[in-house]
Amino acid sequence: MIKGRDLFKIYGKGTVEVRALDGVSVQIDRGEFIGVMGASGSGKSTLLHLLGLLDRPTSGSLSIDGVDVGRLDERGRTLFRLQRLGYVFQDYALVPELTAEENVYLPSMVRGMTSRECSRVCGEILTLVGLRDRRHHFPGEMSGGEQQRVAIARALVNKPSIILADEPCANLDTQNSRNILELIKRLNKELGQTIVMVSHEGWHKKYFDRIIYMSDGKILTDDHQENGPLPEPA
Amino acid sequence: MLDEEKVAFFLASRLIARGNKGTLALTIMIIAMVFVNLIFLPSIISGVVVLFNQQTIDYSYGNLVIEPRSNQIYIENVDQLQQKITRIPGVVASSPRYTAGATIVHKGKSTTPLLYAINPEDEKQVLKIYTKIISGDYLSPGDTDQIVIGYQLAGNKDEKADRIPSLGGVDVGQTVDVTFSNGVTRQYRIKGIINSNSFSVDSNAYITKKELESVLGISNRARQILVRTQTTGNEEAMRTTLMTYGVQEKIWTWQEKSADFLASIVGSFDIINLIGNIVSLIIAVVVIFIVIFINTVYRRKQIGILKAIGIDRSIIIKSYIFQALFIFFCGTLAGGVLLLLVLQYLTASPLVFPGGPVAPVLDTFLVLRAIASLLAVSLIAGYVPSWLTTNEDILSAIRG
Ligand SMILES: Nc1ncnc2c1ncn2[C@@H]1O[C@H](COP(=O)(O)OP(=O)(O)O)[C@@H](O)[C@H]1O
Ligand SMILES: [Mg+2]
Repeated sequence: MIKGRDLFKIYGKGTVEVRALDGVSVQIDRGEFIGVMGASGSGKSTLLHLLGLLDRPTSGSLSIDGVDVGRLDERGRTLFRLQRLGYVFQDYALVPELTAEENVYLPSMVRGMTSRECSRVCGEILTLVGLRDRRHHFPGEMSGGEQQRVAIARALVNKPSIILADEPCANLDTQNSRNILELIKRLNKELGQTIVMVSHEGWHKKYFDRIIYMSDGKILTDDHQENGPLPEPA
Repeated sequence: MLDEEKVAFFLASRLIARGNKGTLALTIMIIAMVFVNLIFLPSIISGVVVLFNQQTIDYSYGNLVIEPRSNQIYIENVDQLQQKITRIPGVVASSPRYTAGATIVHKGKSTTPLLYAINPEDEKQVLKIYTKIISGDYLSPGDTDQIVIGYQLAGNKDEKADRIPSLGGVDVGQTVDVTFSNGVTRQYRIKGIINSNSFSVDSNAYITKKELESVLGISNRARQILVRTQTTGNEEAMRTTLMTYGVQEKIWTWQEKSADFLASIVGSFDIINLIGNIVSLIIAVVVIFIVIFINTVYRRKQIGILKAIGIDRSIIIKSYIFQALFIFFCGTLAGGVLLLLVLQYLTASPLVFPGGPVAPVLDTFLVLRAIASLLAVSLIAGYVPSWLTTNEDILSAIRG
C-alpha cells in the first residue's frame, strides 16, 4: 500500500518557481489499476517519479508497504526500487547487447538469483507477455510493441509490489497500444499486480479501475476519494 | 557483494561480445602498440649498453686495468708482476702496454695519435683487436719496423671523408715516419689496418713493446696492465683477490675506466625513454578513457534506466572497469605477441650499431613494470569516465 501525504515538488525559486506538484495526497491499495491522467505539464510524471523513488519531494511524506521511503539513503532507495518497484518507461530502454531473456533477468541477477532460477522465472514471465519463443532475440530484432513487452517483463521479474508505467504506449500505434494495455490489465486481474499508469489518451480510460486527474500540480478528481462516478475533466 | 561483480562481469562480457568489434580491435591494437613501445626502446637501450660494455672490455680495457702507484709514471718490474697476476685463480691473461704520444708523418701529412706499445701474444689473449684487421696482418712478437694503425687514422684520399686528422689514405706496405717524445724519429712499414668499430682503437696506432722500449731506452716497465678474467661481472671481487695476492698498484675495473662516458649516455637515453613512456601511457589513458566515455555518454539514457530499475551505480561502473581490464588484457597479450615477433625479426636481422649487432635485452622487471603501468592506466581510464556518467541523476539521464 502506498500513502503519499501533502507532496510538493517545487522547481526554481521566487517568481520563477514551478510547482510541479502542489500538495498532492494519494492512497493506493494493493491490486488497484490506477490511471493518472491530465494535460501535458500537469505533474503526472513528477508524481510517478516520487512514487518510483526516482526523485525526492520538496516536502511531504511517502510510505510504501509501511516503509517511510523518505528516510532511505541512496543505496537503500536503489535496493527498494530493485526489490519492490517495477518501472516501465515511454521508451523501452532495453540493453541492446542483451537478448530479451537477459534483459528480463538482469534485475534478478542483481538480487543474487542463480542462473537456473533466473531462466525459470524468466521463462514464466516471457510466456506471460507472449514472447517466450523470442527470448533469444535482441531488442533490435523486435518491434516497439514487443520491446515494450520485454520491458514490462523486466519490471515484473522481481515480483514488485507495484508497477509504475509512464506513458508506456506513447511510442506505439493504436493496435500495439491496445495489446500493451490488455497485457497490463491481465497482469492486474490475473496476478493481482498493483499498477499506476500515466496516460493522456482518452481511450485508455476504459482499462483503468480508478482514475486520478491532475491539473497544475494538483489532483483535480480522484474517484477513490470521491467515491462517486467519474466526472469528465474540463 | 560478490553478486555485484557477477552481474558487472555478465554485463561487461555481453557488451564486449556483442558491441562494436571495430572500435574494440582498434583500442586493443593501440594498447598493444603502447605495450611494445614501453618495452622495445628500453630493451634496445639495454642491448646497446650490453654491446657497449662488451666493446669496452674487448677492445679497450679487458676486465681490470692496473696502473702505476701514485707518484710513479711506470709500473716497475712488469715481467714479475705479470707472472704473478697470471697465476692468480680467475685470471685468464694480462697484457702490459705503454701509451705514448707521437707524431706520425706520411707524404707531408702529419698527425698526433696515441701510440700503443704492446706484446702481441699477450695482447691477443686480453683484447680482440687482432681479429679486426681489415687489411694486412697484426703485429708479431719480433716486429721492430712494423706499425699497425686504425682505419680512421689511415684516413681517406679525399680528406672530406675523414673523421679525424688522418694520414690521407695510407695503405699496407707504405711507410710512415714516427717522431717520439724524446725526439727520436724512426721509419715504419704499415703492416695492418684495423677496423674494430671502437673509436679509441681505430684512431690510434700500435707498435711492439720491445720496439718502444728500444726507442726510449727502458725495459721491464709498462704504463698499464690490462687483465682478462674468467667471468665478467665480478670485477670488484677480482680486484680484491688481486690485492690479497699482493698487487700494490692501482687497480681499476673497466666500469670505472669508462664510467663517466657510459653513465652519461645511458642517462640521456633514460630521459628520452622516460619521456617516451610517459607520452605513450598518456596515449593509453586517453584512448581507453575516450572509448569508455563515449560509450557511456552514448548510453546515458540506458544507464539512467538501469539505475531506475534498481541496478546500483557501482555495478555499472564495475562493468566498465571489467571492459577496460579486458582491453588491457588483450592489448597486453597482443603487445606481447607483437614484441616477440619484433624481437624474432631483430634476432634474424639485427640492428647493427657501431661496434656490432645489438640484441635487445628483455628484462623481467621491464616487462612487469610495463604490465603494471598499463593495468593502472586501464583501471583509471575505466573508472573515471563511468563514474562521471553514472554520477548524473536518474531523471536528467532519462530525459536525455
Ligand atoms: N527539472 C525540472 N525543472 C523545472 N521544471 C520542471 C522540471 N521537471 C518538470 N518540471 C515542470 O513541472 C511540471 C510538471 O511536469 P511533468 O510532471 O513532467 O508533467 P506531465 O508528466 O504531466 O506532462 C511542468 O510544468 C514541467 O515543466
Ligand atoms: Mg510526463
